[in-house]
Amino acid sequence: MIERKIGSNGTEYELFFGPAHPGSGNFSVRLKVEGERVVSGRADPGYLHRGFEKLMEYRLPVQNAVLSDRICVFEALNWNLLHAEAMEELLGIEPPIRARYIRTIMAELSRIQSHIIWYGVFAIGLGFETGFKIAFSYRDYVLDLFEAVTGGRVYPAGYICPGGVRRDLPDGAEKLIRQTLDKIEEMLAWEKSGSPFFPERTRGVGILSLEEAIRLGATGPVLRASGMKTDVRKEDPYELYDQFDFDIPVLEEGDAYARYRIGLMEIAESVKIVRQALEKLPQGEVLHPSVAKLAAKVTIPEGEVYVRNEIARGEGAMHIVGNGGTNPYRVKIRGPSLLHMVPVLEHLLVGASVADVPAIYWSLNVCPADLDR
Amino acid sequence: MGTSADRSASIADDIRSAFGIEAEVRRPRRLWMDVPPERLLEISGWVKRRGFEHFSAVSVVDRPEEGRFDITYHVWSYNDRVLLTMKTSVGRDDPRIDSLVPVWNESVQVHERELHEAFGVEFVGNPDLSPFFLEEWDGPPPFRKDFDWRSYVRANLFDEENEREKPYFD
Repeated sequence: MIERKIGSNGTEYELFFGPAHPGSGNFSVRLKVEGERVVSGRADPGYLHRGFEKLMEYRLPVQNAVLSDRICVFEALNWNLLHAEAMEELLGIEPPIRARYIRTIMAELSRIQSHIIWYGVFAIGLGFETGFKIAFSYRDYVLDLFEAVTGGRVYPAGYICPGGVRRDLPDGAEKLIRQTLDKIEEMLAWEKSGSPFFPERTRGVGILSLEEAIRLGATGPVLRASGMKTDVRKEDPYELYDQFDFDIPVLEEGDAYARYRIGLMEIAESVKIVRQALEKLPQGEVLHPSVAKLAAKVTIPEGEVYVRNEIARGEGAMHIVGNGGTNPYRVKIRGPSLLHMVPVLEHLLVGASVADVPAIYWSLNVCPADLDR
Repeated sequence: MGTSADRSASIADDIRSAFGIEAEVRRPRRLWMDVPPERLLEISGWVKRRGFEHFSAVSVVDRPEEGRFDITYHVWSYNDRVLLTMKTSVGRDDPRIDSLVPVWNESVQVHERELHEAFGVEFVGNPDLSPFFLEEWDGPPPFRKDFDWRSYVRANLFDEENEREKPYFD
């Protein structure tokens, strides 16, 4: 942290949390502090701004499928899926049923993997290095699986594309997925065995009431940890989510500890979904027959769509406008971190202790990449 | 959940009787309506009270040939489980529109701030439209269709004397 003295009485400082801080990612907050108390925080984003919304206007859908990976490093497949669904709605095509199953499986594994990162960075933000190392080593099992299925460990290069998925699951993938799920459950069991670390450091920290959460635009796990039972997968179902049996974990407290627990509960629910999808996985094609044309120049008809999904961090959405050209005319990307890292974070920092800043920050499951785009 | 549980048609009826505007059900749970810019604030207040508590996003679409910006607001009702899109337009020569901060508060503030920077649209009543991503930017709003980023980058960021950047000036 860089600090600058601003008051005359020796207790008022301006502190910079990030951007070159291992505990903040490519993002910074300017904190005004008085002694150990944070008076106010001002979010300072833009370190990862790559102009994807504009760039997509210059690219074909098949290229944009690859670009959509990069919107968020932690959950590339979920953004792939959002882009694919929006383009399909605009083009009026439906992916084959087997592709829908594979997409649901991959999206849930992406959520699991993202929540494991959340656990890991949350842990290291608090100084709990063991938690970080264990989380990142379990995450590697999911990355091995991603590599086997998509060819990429972190970025699947548009594996979920408009019209389906780029290729079918490789031989032995179902067994590999089941083994990976067993490993994830092993990690959850380890976590339950009870380190006092998280409750000690996060209980009662950064309390977000339900009313504030809605007013500030919180979604996903952050909103659910404040007592709202809501999930796009249940309320506005896409892909095959209306066919699976899973719960929406909700907690009332709204503090960082509740958000930490919600993350772990959601991993368990995602494991349930993937197991059910594997049970029912049908045979068949994985790409819409017209998709060969997508690789070349396809005309995007005039029109506009708004598609929203429940991604790991909350509500992700895309507004895509077509005008009869081969590239989209306009793409608007709505990432959940924009709200979580600006209004929600700025609100929670007021009055917090300086030592609690990393706990509050990482409890929000933030991703500077999807804020900046 | 099928169309039977879908309440978008009954919301469309409510909108028709309150404002005389036809809202279109484009698919289950997706409702689109056109709103005249001068009535945006009034209609938004009603929409929020009708249960659309969650402000999902706002997007600006630049249409230079028609001389206007289209602005689309996407709001979600947790109660009715419907996404309502309100679409309005402002002239490109003087793009001013009422801010929706009085209705959806902080959740819309940051969206408007970002779009002000990207498109130069003035959201009247938004308390903070300061630069968001682009510090020390003095070019035109970069997401506008007529912003020629290639020539801007060449003129402002490349050095003709630099051996590696020379090819950009050919």
